[in-house]
Amino acid sequence: MSLRKVAIVGGAATPNGKFQTPAGEPIQTVEHEVLAPMVIDAMAAAGLPKESVDAISLALCRPYTLQKYFATFMANYMRMPLKGGIMEVLGNGMTGGLAFDQAVNAVAIGHADVALALGVNFESAASSADHMMGSMRAVGDIDFHSIFGFSPIAWYAMDAVRYMHEHGVPRAELAGIAVKDRRHAALNPIAQFKKPLTLEEVLAARPIVEPLGLFEVPPRGDGACCLVVATEDVAKETGRPYVLVRSRGFFHEGAHQINEVPNDMTAFIAAREASSKAYAAAGVTAADLDLAELYAPCTIVQALVSEAMDLVPRGQAGRAATDGETALGGRLPICTSGGCLSRGHPSYITGLLTIFELWEQLTHRAGERQVKDAALAAASCELGNYNAALIHILEAKA
Amino acid sequence: MTLPRIRMTGARPWPPRVTSHTRTFWEALSEGRLTTTRGRTSGRLTFPPKPFCPYDWGRDVEWVELSGRGALYSQTVIHAVPAAFQAEAPIRNGIVDLDEGLRVAARILGEPSLDAAMECVVLDYDDGPLFAFRAAS
Repeated sequence: MSLRKVAIVGGAATPNGKFQTPAGEPIQTVEHEVLAPMVIDAMAAAGLPKESVDAISLALCRPYTLQKYFATFMANYMRMPLKGGIMEVLGNGMTGGLAFDQAVNAVAIGHADVALALGVNFESAASSADHMMGSMRAVGDIDFHSIFGFSPIAWYAMDAVRYMHEHGVPRAELAGIAVKDRRHAALNPIAQFKKPLTLEEVLAARPIVEPLGLFEVPPRGDGACCLVVATEDVAKETGRPYVLVRSRGFFHEGAHQINEVPNDMTAFIAAREASSKAYAAAGVTAADLDLAELYAPCTIVQALVSEAMDLVPRGQAGRAATDGETALGGRLPICTSGGCLSRGHPSYITGLLTIFELWEQLTHRAGERQVKDAALAAASCELGNYNAALIHILEAKA
Repeated sequence: MTLPRIRMTGARPWPPRVTSHTRTFWEALSEGRLTTTRGRTSGRLTFPPKPFCPYDWGRDVEWVELSGRGALYSQTVIHAVPAAFQAEAPIRNGIVDLDEGLRVAARILGEPSLDAAMECVVLDYDDGPLFAFRAAS
């Protein structure tokens, strides 16, 4: 069976922020009323009629979302009969990326000519301490890790400690990534944080997981996003610019947070393997990319995945951010959206927001943060401590 | 060899579930021994202990005692902790590479430097034990 070429033809996303209402408030903000306008906007951007949707792939909602079977609920809410399929997917931080991946698959194998990858992440009404009672059970063995109180980002903090030790990288160099991302976010209409941020402010912020302070770890927030994917034939018929999915790479190292056999934890083996496969399948190298949008909830994660994907040399990601090499206008801009740190990290849809940013960049609608002549880009998402990575290579088509 | 013990007040914030298999691990820890399983056909250790060997899926496994000695691979101090751990915040957790070639995550006592030689200690809570590591004496 030959696979069909798949294109991204539309997208829409809410500004990220805190809009989930606490239980008991007389007027509630509800998920479907936030997501439905994104579906309408994304299809309008695609220039396709609502009847053309054959399948939907939903990033599972957070446990706080009261409506269950949310995907089929949405199909009813928006009157979408589906001949191709409907599903909800979960993969921790990879959830949004998998929703996109599954929509692409539905089109590639012929179940759908047009498919939606969408999601809505509501979590901000839960306190961080209470939220972590759930998330700590997702990022470790609950009988042998969670017993010590590891929060999700505690693992990344341990990456940072080891990386700084082995490569002689000062914290200020890593912190430069947060400053760079905030400058990008200031140009992004959907970013959660746009106020300028200085290196001094990053370094002086209260510690969250040492050595990382408040501005080096992800904010909590809510958001919704919808992407429209279609066969390349459908994309061509729209007469509008589109983004071609050139290739995909995936790898899971068979370990959960840490490998029981001591290895280089900061090498992010899964990102290295998945990106190698994706580059090879597309017939490109990292040097051919015009930009990269990475799933990187902390400064250190952006450093390590950039290095694992061969975007910058090992030990150099912080310096490259500080020097502007990976900033807008630099050799290879990374996280032009502002990334998880400043665009926002409604984590179950972060993988969708990653693709949304690249769709905007590669169809040259990114406004002030437009990477000039952007033609080829890489997207990543992950789960665990980058124990698994999913990488897509995307190409602009006029 | 019996591990040093430290008396803790109160119950463990997030006690592990004990199974008919892992009961052997937790009972040995109560007695001051850090143990795990080794596959008899593969000869390989695994951690946490399992009723089969993850390397060759052989079901014939044996319990072995570990030295509890190793080196500190990494660590962090967690200030923003899950709700159940607020009474202990901030908490220092880390990763230790045991001399037997196993990597484990645990509570860290004191303020050891990376790569420091470490030793396992038993934390005796009111409701049962946890394991932790500190700089080797």
